[in-house]
Amino acid sequence: MSETKPAPQTITDGKTVHGVVAEFSDVDSLLAACERVRDAGYTKADAFTPFPVHGIDKALGIKPTVLPWIALAAGGLGTCTALAMQIWMNGIDYQYIISGKPYISLPAFIPVSFELTILFASFGTFFGMWALNGLPKFSNPMFTSPRFDRATDDTFFLYLDAKDQRFDEDGAKALLGDLGGEYIEPVVDDDSSKKIPTGLLVGLAVVIALSLIPALAVARMRVTKSSSPRFHIFPDMDFSPAKDAQQISTLFADGRAMRPNVPGTVSRGDLDWDVDFHTGIDMEKLAQIDAPRARQLVAMMQSDVEVDQADGQVAGEEAEEATEAVEETTETEEPKAEDAKSEEPAAEEAEMKEEAAEEESSQETETASEEDASQEEPAEVEPATEEATVEGSGEESEEMAAEEETTEEPAAEESEPAPAESEEPETKKPEAPAALAPASGPTVDTTPWLTENPLAIDQAVLERGQQQFNIYCSVCHGMNGRGNGLVNQRAQRILATTWTPPSNLHDETLYQDAYPDGKLFSTISNGIRKMPGYASQIRAKDRWAIVSYVRALQASQNASLEDVPAAQRKAIEKEQSDVKAALEKAAAEAEAKAQQSAT
Amino acid sequence: MSLAVPNGLDNSVERPGTRAPLVLGDSSYHSITEAVCKVAETPPSKLWVFSFIVAVHLATMLGLCIAYLFYTGVGVWGNRNPVFWGWPIVNFVFWVGIGHAGTLISAILYLFRQEWRTSINRTAEAMTIFAVVCAGTFPGIHVGRAWLAFWLAPYPSLNLWMWPQFRSPLLWDVFAVSTYATVSLLFWYMGMVPDLATFRDRSKHPLRRAVYGVLSLGWSGSSRHWMRYEKAYALLAAFAAPLVLSVHTIVSFDFAVSQVPGWHTTIFPPYFVAGAIFSGFAMVITLMVPARAIFNIEKLITIRHLENMCKIILTTGMIVGLAYGTEFFIAWYGQVTEEKFAFINRAFGPYWWAYWTMISCNVISPNIFWWKKARTTPWIMFVVSIFVNIGMWFERFVITITSLSRDYLPSAWAYFEPTWVDWAMLVGSFGLFFTLFLLFCRLMPIINMAETKATLAKELHMAHKDAH
Repeated sequence: MSETKPAPQTITDGKTVHGVVAEFSDVDSLLAACERVRDAGYTKADAFTPFPVHGIDKALGIKPTVLPWIALAAGGLGTCTALAMQIWMNGIDYQYIISGKPYISLPAFIPVSFELTILFASFGTFFGMWALNGLPKFSNPMFTSPRFDRATDDTFFLYLDAKDQRFDEDGAKALLGDLGGEYIEPVVDDDSSKKIPTGLLVGLAVVIALSLIPALAVARMRVTKSSSPRFHIFPDMDFSPAKDAQQISTLFADGRAMRPNVPGTVSRGDLDWDVDFHTGIDMEKLAQIDAPRARQLVAMMQSDVEVDQADGQVAGEEAEEATEAVEETTETEEPKAEDAKSEEPAAEEAEMKEEAAEEESSQETETASEEDASQEEPAEVEPATEEATVEGSGEESEEMAAEEETTEEPAAEESEPAPAESEEPETKKPEAPAALAPASGPTVDTTPWLTENPLAIDQAVLERGQQQFNIYCSVCHGMNGRGNGLVNQRAQRILATTWTPPSNLHDETLYQDAYPDGKLFSTISNGIRKMPGYASQIRAKDRWAIVSYVRALQASQNASLEDVPAAQRKAIEKEQSDVKAALEKAAAEAEAKAQQSAT
Repeated sequence: MSLAVPNGLDNSVERPGTRAPLVLGDSSYHSITEAVCKVAETPPSKLWVFSFIVAVHLATMLGLCIAYLFYTGVGVWGNRNPVFWGWPIVNFVFWVGIGHAGTLISAILYLFRQEWRTSINRTAEAMTIFAVVCAGTFPGIHVGRAWLAFWLAPYPSLNLWMWPQFRSPLLWDVFAVSTYATVSLLFWYMGMVPDLATFRDRSKHPLRRAVYGVLSLGWSGSSRHWMRYEKAYALLAAFAAPLVLSVHTIVSFDFAVSQVPGWHTTIFPPYFVAGAIFSGFAMVITLMVPARAIFNIEKLITIRHLENMCKIILTTGMIVGLAYGTEFFIAWYGQVTEEKFAFINRAFGPYWWAYWTMISCNVISPNIFWWKKARTTPWIMFVVSIFVNIGMWFERFVITITSLSRDYLPSAWAYFEPTWVDWAMLVGSFGLFFTLFLLFCRLMPIINMAETKATLAKELHMAHKDAH
């Protein structure tokens, strides 16, 4: 083909000539030309082809590359790195015991060693090849000529370098022309500007500066001593969205954030106190007197499930009710639950203050205690069952409200609880063991109440008792326990017909010898007449503290001077004599006045 | 410079004593350049734009699902006790397997001097890269707190003060897949550099020229460069060939090293590798058949190329079928109660539908390739390739889900239910794959021009010799 072309052309201008290049249009003529050039003694000749031409390295006298050795070295480095890494990390520095295998277990290290060998060898090959080729190199005199663009398309170029010892421009051109080069030109310098455009430099600087910001920010955060909380991109579990006690949760099927105790289990720390502590009854004695009741009490303290086994009849019924209550809770939809909740305080208020409209208030009381039951029964099995047990009927607290209603009348007449309670087992639950009731009054209360407060009484307990008493008890019983609290005063003023006045705690029937500590505790826990049980609101320990405070109150109102410590006795005596003198004086004056006016 | 082919575009006919040509029609070096560059240089067709929009939307859906996953937690998946490896792992193994055909074509067929690979290797390699991208996504987000996934790497941590456990197949997997991704990328990119130089030299727009100029690293086509380049290519092929076998072997170790019935078998490595090649070639066909029609490159990707791939699908399909049978045999022969149960449960348990989908797609459908008519008819092979893709996805589903949902403890058995996020992520991963692939078709040389020209030169040389 080349024979048909015109004589070789040359282009010259004043620039540095790097060499001479000739074009060929097929592989065979290029190969032939290469061989001729090699034979002519040129050692720095090169060919540029759109694809690898086989045999051209021989035709040009190109030496084999060292690349395979680089790959081998890199691969060996990879193997060593992998083995060293694994032996150090798992065999020496942080030893894992896996199935009793040796720490340095080479078979298990093979996969990673193999992968890193391949990886390193590939990197060695890839980067080694570009390094040996001197690439990337974006400026190349060959690219000066637009004709060279076809070197990557379909044209073959043979290039004689000016650095070659045999090179002279005219001779080279002549040689290439002889070899059939179709278009011959000298390779000259690129005359375009070598300056990198300012815009590019600025852009690059900006990008580099911006890319440093995250690293700098991290570095700064690592050294800074700040008291403000850590910046969390991902919250992880550092902030778990905790729910408050009464909130609604979508996480559980029953929709409650609070989790009830698992039936048949006791929470950690709840085993510190025995059954006596929670009932106020000496269980050992009770077991001798009335074994079924004792068994039932113990069983109910433990779980609902065991109640079934302990006493089939009563407990079975109760368990049924309990499940009903639980079902009610689970089925309760959110707004409904909220309604009930908001109703509760209202109900309490009504109960305490008004009570004028009997039916309404009793209804409300029921809803309130229903709410109580459903809320607290599964959550705190203990107090709830306790209530039910000591009430004597084995009933739910739900039932209690109703009971209060029924037992109200006798209770209203008589402030003494005994006759009222003695009626319960007969009227309400004939099937319940009679001894369950704290029977007293006409029938003697055989319950072996604890006669001593199980708490060790000290100042702290008394103060706690006082605090709790003032919160829960004083509203009805009065700050001094005389039974004239604010609620009572209001009830008296509006002449509430259903109101049962709270007991005067200084009544002799409520003294330690007539009304043992255990019984008082039980009354606080389970309520009596109009008074609701406080087991769900006040912890057992605090109830015992209240008992101790009530005893202190009683003692304060009925003490003789001998009870007062000697140090303070004199002061009191003086105060008393002062008061006495003042009173006598006033009486004398009044008498005198009366005499005067009479005369 | 032309090569007359008696049967027109059909080079699948064997003519004794001659090699069937692999570049057809009135091809010259320049016409090859034109044919390939035209794909990237002409404005995109409506079909491309439409496909791209769809693919980008699906990929975005994947991204949104991942954001939702990060925000909410892994509970958005159907992964529940006892199936804690749900679809994310199924998708991971599926996509890694797809990738294998690309490396196999570019490395192993290269080493065996199978010249028909030249015009399909670029696309197959690109497919590898994109499939590995999809595959890498899933274990990355499956770790729960994906922003701490770097804890997998053996780096001296000031917070943990500990090193990874190098005896765990899961860690081997990290090394295998990341090495595979890296080497595939190097291989793919290196193979593209001369063609990117062609793009550079044809570019009219200065920006385009600058971008391709940087990407092609100043490639000039010097014979010395070519010589080292070819050596490097052969070396990388030699490294990638065992690598590709090791990767799916190690992926199979993730299962086989555990004690779960149905996983704990020594057949897993060869079985997984064969399955990977099987699914990968199916995906190559799925991509090539439409691509060669859309981009008018039938003269470069000829029927003979497709037929060869169909033969490989037939072969690997039979290997996979044999593996299914062997598993059953060993389950019976090994006399391990749980193992026996696991396999009976696979075929006749609650997931029978998945098992028989797998069998019909993987074992039965490729048998149509026994007929030459099916091997040379693009639409038939396209349909079969879709079946094989479905079947291979189900194979991973069957292995992962059936074994986990019923293992040693019957009280812990449960039926796996995917959630909408599982579905969206599976579909979205295809979106990501096709987004990348469509971009590749538009921006990169989809056929290895340099190698195809070399093949043409060889054929011209042979024809020239024959003429004498």
